[in-house]
Amino acid sequence: MPSSLKNDYPSSPDEALVGWAQKGDTEAFEELVFRHRDKIYARAMMMMRNEEEAMDLSQEAWVKSWQRLHQFQGDSSFATWMTRIVINLCLDQIRRQKKMRAESIEQIEEEAGGVERQMPVEHVNPIEGLEKEELRKRIDEAMAKLTEAHRTVLVLHEFQGMEYKEIARKVGISIGTVMSRLFYARRRMASLLQGLKRERKI
Amino acid sequence: MDEKKSLELMALLDGTGEPGRREAVEAWLCSEPDAEALRQELSWVRQALREHEPATKVPETREFYWSQIQRRMDQAAPFEPRPEPRRRFGDWLSWLVPVAGVAAVTLLVSLHPWQGGPLNPGLNEATATTYTSEADGVTIHWID
Repeated sequence: MPSSLKNDYPSSPDEALVGWAQKGDTEAFEELVFRHRDKIYARAMMMMRNEEEAMDLSQEAWVKSWQRLHQFQGDSSFATWMTRIVINLCLDQIRRQKKMRAESIEQIEEEAGGVERQMPVEHVNPIEGLEKEELRKRIDEAMAKLTEAHRTVLVLHEFQGMEYKEIARKVGISIGTVMSRLFYARRRMASLLQGLKRERKI
Repeated sequence: MDEKKSLELMALLDGTGEPGRREAVEAWLCSEPDAEALRQELSWVRQALREHEPATKVPETREFYWSQIQRRMDQAAPFEPRPEPRRRFGDWLSWLVPVAGVAAVTLLVSLHPWQGGPLNPGLNEATATTYTSEADGVTIHWID
């Protein structure tokens, strides 16, 4: 890379930066990290709900992507490719942690499904008229209260855009379990968001 | 509430339900008072999540965050550059055409009679006699 073009990093598109980085240009890679670091960290944070783990896994994702950059063909955007890497790392971490800890009876019941049948349907939309930032904050708070299993399926479906089949394969569960977890997660989110609305009123 | 129909309703809202089940689910929505409320609940939750993903920022400066990544990169396996793509037929053709042209010109020059003088000076001293018979359709050349 000629030194005269170095200042072009901030104004260059991702495709150009990826091309330079694939040849070993760390400055181009640094620019990619700078551009997408918040999104990658946010996705890890959403999955893990732990700042330290999210930081560690997001950095690990960047190192992995640097090592595998030669495999990136440009079939998807660089950001999509990166979020897949961080999601895979988070899922691996969750699997490792799951092996080590016993789950509560409440979690086991929730994950087995059927609890949602006892939940009343929310007839009033609690998010109507809310400012975007306030809504984001409430969604974040509600997501933190979901169990890991429900949050994982919800993140993969709503934020990562994965279909039921793809989630089933990634998480190692049946499509039926994906559907019941997703159904429960959405119903629980409705209930939690309604609860947050009531709390704010008081 | 019918659990199976609830899941079918969700699948239809997600665009992955079986199209053949749409009518059955719609009939259920009309017959069950809570079913329509459930449809609305699932819809607004879905929309709220898709449009308002919480945005969390890295709680470190750019320099610090990058320095930590760079340190890990240095410790990790060495960087593997992307191999140059293999030549396709079009790429081969792009240099084959000029090479073929040069070869053709060389061949023409080598086969064309030398303009500057006889190719074999010894032929100037040779004598040739030709006998032609129109009746027999035969031509004979003698070269001495």
